Amino acid sequence: MIEVTGLTKVYGDRAAVDGISFTVGRGEIIGFLGPNGAGKTTTMRVLTGYVPPTSGTARVAGFDVQEAPIEVKRRIGYLPEHPPLYREMVVRPFLRFVAGVRAVPRKEIETRVDRAIERCGLQQVAGRLIGNLSKGFQQRVGLAQAILHDPDVLILDEPTVGLDPSQIREIRQLIKSFAGAHTVILSTHILAEVTMTCNRVLIINEGKIAADETMQAMAARGERTRRIAVRVARAADGVEGQIRAIPGVLDVRREDAEDGAFVVEIDGARDVREQIAARAVGQGWGLLEMRAMTRSLEDIFIGIIRGEAA
Amino acid sequence: MRNVLTIAWREIRAYFTSPLAYVVIGVFLCLSGAAFWVHLVRFSQYCLQYGSNPYVLSQLNVNELVIRRLFGFMSVVFLSVIPFVSMRLLAEERKSGTAELLFTSPVTTTQVILGKFFGAAFLLVSMIGLTLTYPLLILFSNARPDMKTTFVGYLGVLLMGLAFLSIGLLISSMTENQIVAAVGAFGAFLVLWIISWLGDSATITLADIMNKVTFGMWDKLHFGMAGPTLGDLLRKLSIIEHFEDFSKGVFDTEHAVFYLSVVFFALFLTQRVVDSRSWRG
Repeated sequence: MIEVTGLTKVYGDRAAVDGISFTVGRGEIIGFLGPNGAGKTTTMRVLTGYVPPTSGTARVAGFDVQEAPIEVKRRIGYLPEHPPLYREMVVRPFLRFVAGVRAVPRKEIETRVDRAIERCGLQQVAGRLIGNLSKGFQQRVGLAQAILHDPDVLILDEPTVGLDPSQIREIRQLIKSFAGAHTVILSTHILAEVTMTCNRVLIINEGKIAADETMQAMAARGERTRRIAVRVARAADGVEGQIRAIPGVLDVRREDAEDGAFVVEIDGARDVREQIAARAVGQGWGLLEMRAMTRSLEDIFIGIIRGEAA
Repeated sequence: MRNVLTIAWREIRAYFTSPLAYVVIGVFLCLSGAAFWVHLVRFSQYCLQYGSNPYVLSQLNVNELVIRRLFGFMSVVFLSVIPFVSMRLLAEERKSGTAELLFTSPVTTTQVILGKFFGAAFLLVSMIGLTLTYPLLILFSNARPDMKTTFVGYLGVLLMGLAFLSIGLLISSMTENQIVAAVGAFGAFLVLWIISWLGDSATITLADIMNKVTFGMWDKLHFGMAGPTLGDLLRKLSIIEHFEDFSKGVFDTEHAVFYLSVVFFALFLTQRVVDSRSWRG
């Protein structure tokens, strides 16, 4: 559905996006994750045809954003970071106007507007001035204008910023309900959001793609144990050497803060917990505790952003 | 065309749901109404004064003394009122972020600009249209203005207003600050207004200028040294000079073509400015 190859956008002497490539298939919900200023918004603006790329290409549904901008724009629903709302307009006429410029056939405008209002839960505010609505409702109006024309691709730039927790949950539910029928690209700097709504994550940092994985692969990274915490009652001098001798153990460090605590670095392919336990019992160290140190998604994300090998 | 109308219609709604349209139209009607009344009273005084002298009485013309002056005054009011109509057109879209909505919709830049222009033109037409009541008010009195002359004058007022509006739109496309857009437009109108004052002092001929910049080649090639002066050229650029004939009730295509060219050229430049974000960083 979306193919981006070698996309670069330079502002002045700074490259906001630096040669990124990725593809998104039909019906996927992908999370665009990265710290502020990583290039998420710029990438989205290029995809929507709002700013042209400095080099590289972006195609949506087979149409190049540079060569056939109108065809691309017809197929995209876009919610920018700041919802583009005319504050002096009433919700329903505003949606009618958007339907007009988004080339919805005249006869269908009313039904489409009704459906968008219903899907985004705007029934009780449909007759109110947009400028007087709460931030949560404004965000929903923004979402309604993006899905009005039933676009193939939905691009949402930080859709939950500035909302309270219950509103965030509602918006996420709404986005999840678009799965299947629409291809969704969602940008955020909140990891939990990706975990809850997306099936694939694209981590972008300093204009480059740092990781492009399915949520399962991402979670598996954390599962793969690479470190084991061990604590024994009687830590004799030879403990480190003895553990290091077990095949599959790469390194053993003594933790200074706690008496008798060690961190064992292991080769990810082998699980050596059993051997360590056997050795501890055999040598009479008095095994008190042993646990695999799994890494949370948050740790993985920060590791990737910092450029550490995960 | 449908896109243009959709955008124009939203623009009209935006004007008429905010106080702006009412304030602008109200100020314009108050000022032009007062001017009309003043000139009408003066005209009737002349008529009373010279009522016994049939020769002078035959020289008194309501079109000349009342309606033409009304048009002259309207053109002055335009100077200060139109910047407030045009300032928000594109500047506000950029400021509030709604430009992102418009320019990611399947509409072309030209359609957006035409929609904006027609929307504002609607406000202008309704503003001028309401003043039609003034000549109609005295149509059935003894003054009996000549309506053909009056309509030609109105056509001139409308064309001049559209020319101002297109320049205002151009300046609104260059900034996201509405006040800058208004002041800029006002300045541009004034320059186009007073440019003809330079006409009398700039007596150097165009041929002379060409001769100077080509280091005498012009003269050697016998292209001729006579012809219009720089002043003549500047006078042709003045928005008010072209209005003279219209206000007299004389329709000359030269002036109509001038105003329409200004509109076309300004809208074209606006389109270039808006599209320039595609190659500016």
